[in-house]
Amino acid sequence: MEFLSLFDLTFFLLAAFGTLVGVIFGAIPGMTATMAVAVCLPLTYALGLHHGLALLLGLYVGGISGGMVPAVLLNIPGTPSSITTTFDGYPMARKGQGEKALRICVIASLVGGLISALVLFLFAPVLANFSIKFSYVEKFLIILLALSVIASLSSSMLIGIFSGVIGIWLSLIGDYSISDGGNGHTRLMFDFMEPYLFEGFSLLPVLIGIFGVATILLEAEKGVKSDLTHERVKVSKSDGAGALAAFKGRFTNLTRSSFIGTFVGMLPGVGGSAASVLAYTQEKNLSRDTSQMGKGAPQGLIASESANNALTGGALIPLLSLGIPGDATTAVLIGAFTLQGIQVGPLFIPENTTTWYVMMTALVFANIVMFFLMFYAIKYIAKVVMVPKHILFPLIVMMCVVGAYAINYGIMFDVWTLLIFGVLGYLIQKIGLEVAPLIIGFILGSQAEVYFVKSLESFGTYTIFFTRSPIAMVLWALIAASVLFSIVIRLKARNKTTTQTP
Amino acid sequence: MASGLSDLLSVSIDFETSHLFFPAIIHWLLAGLFALVLVLKVAPFLAAVKRGERTLPIFGESMDVMRFFGTLALIVAYFYLMAVVGDLFPYTGYGFLFVSMGFVLLMSLLYLHVWSRKNLIIVVVNAVVAPSLAWFVLAKLFTITLP
Repeated sequence: MEFLSLFDLTFFLLAAFGTLVGVIFGAIPGMTATMAVAVCLPLTYALGLHHGLALLLGLYVGGISGGMVPAVLLNIPGTPSSITTTFDGYPMARKGQGEKALRICVIASLVGGLISALVLFLFAPVLANFSIKFSYVEKFLIILLALSVIASLSSSMLIGIFSGVIGIWLSLIGDYSISDGGNGHTRLMFDFMEPYLFEGFSLLPVLIGIFGVATILLEAEKGVKSDLTHERVKVSKSDGAGALAAFKGRFTNLTRSSFIGTFVGMLPGVGGSAASVLAYTQEKNLSRDTSQMGKGAPQGLIASESANNALTGGALIPLLSLGIPGDATTAVLIGAFTLQGIQVGPLFIPENTTTWYVMMTALVFANIVMFFLMFYAIKYIAKVVMVPKHILFPLIVMMCVVGAYAINYGIMFDVWTLLIFGVLGYLIQKIGLEVAPLIIGFILGSQAEVYFVKSLESFGTYTIFFTRSPIAMVLWALIAASVLFSIVIRLKARNKTTTQTP
Repeated sequence: MASGLSDLLSVSIDFETSHLFFPAIIHWLLAGLFALVLVLKVAPFLAAVKRGERTLPIFGESMDVMRFFGTLALIVAYFYLMAVVGDLFPYTGYGFLFVSMGFVLLMSLLYLHVWSRKNLIIVVVNAVVAPSLAWFVLAKLFTITLP
């Protein structure tokens, strides 16, 4: 219980502050949890590891939860993961049950968040313990599996793979680092770039550029319309009891959706929208009475919100046990860990047990803060939806600059990286490539290279990737399964459309 | 035959050129995938564009040209001037502070649709207060390096 001594008032205040800021970010349409974490990163530079984690986890939980506010009140998902909340939330708000709907969402979010935290707590150490024995061969295959899972869940598998490989390519720019056993030569660049790019692009400026600057550019292209100013956000009065009563008989839905959210969160690179959509459709398929779903049924809200908050714990599982981020936000968290000198991977939990407990505490605490903040202060939070974008956007760019500049203690090239990847991120989304696989490819690319090349250097044959161990074969089976799964799903979807359009 | 296959699959990597081994594989992979994307995605898409069913991204869409390129130009100027002004006052963060004020002001004005008196006052106050606050908290309280 020595970790208890690490908690001080600052720790809890930071977690609460992070949650509040996260909720605000989530509540503003177009701003996401990822952006909240990216923009607030500079604040953690000066904090210690544990205080920094408290802030970041608060931001993460708050950011995912905040999306429900505009989803219910304005029919606009504040974050992609609250898309299914609009289906039933907005009809309820129009019937004058806005506050009740939001309170149902808040309770569902709390349950989802806590269940996934529990799964994380029980499962991550087991997975880490298992993967600790992995050699380079298995580690390479794990990365391959992660990428194939992302690709198979992308809207087009080919585009998903292509985006992932582009990400890997981008990560190879720079030297083949001597510290990883490479020869220290640079590649994929011209000589004049060497002073800037010897170590490649820094991870955090890349992420901040893609999630911060690119979002601004996409909005600027549309003219930054504050079309919300004319809408009236109306939260009608209701008491907490009405919201609680809505959970009667919904226990199965609540737990099922929470576990779906946790599981989807574990899959690398799969965002929150997949979790809530899956939970929503499952409720639609399995529930006895679905006649009201889409017209303002609390059960839809329960499914959607418990699943999207369950994502948080789920996404942290592969991050902390394998070093593979479960979604875009956890990808930014990897950067934050590296900044604090901590390598996430199988050794993280055994070697940083205190940090692990601290993280769990922060995660649970953030969920509880989120609950009280939103349950009792929802009316005031609903107002931030109205913050005009012409005030907000310049400030976001400003915070992005601080984040990028300070990350390596004052390198101007990192700031330019923001712009490069901001523009790149904009183009990627415009031409229909996928951001998530690209980011995961970028994060894992250089490790994949080391594992791949070192395996071949030691064994001298490609067959080693199949014959190294039974685990390797299992991993290949999983890779094949993920590809097959995607093909089957696509065939089913095609059959459906052909039968629907005779 | 069996030995032929294992010869094919055996590989030795020269340490001097090992930095190019993996990138070469990735290049082949990229080229192959790109060809597939061209054939399976881009060609049908372009055909649909030709038939008028779809529009080209970026070029075929309506775009707020002023705000989009204005944003890009402002960001470039912001990044560039920040370093220039920062060099005039090294280790103070003034480059960030002063250039941010200008940037926040101009970008807010660029995005502002209704130039009412009230809106303008909010924009100006925000442009002065927000960077000052960020500078004070980050550079002074947290001693984070700023340009």
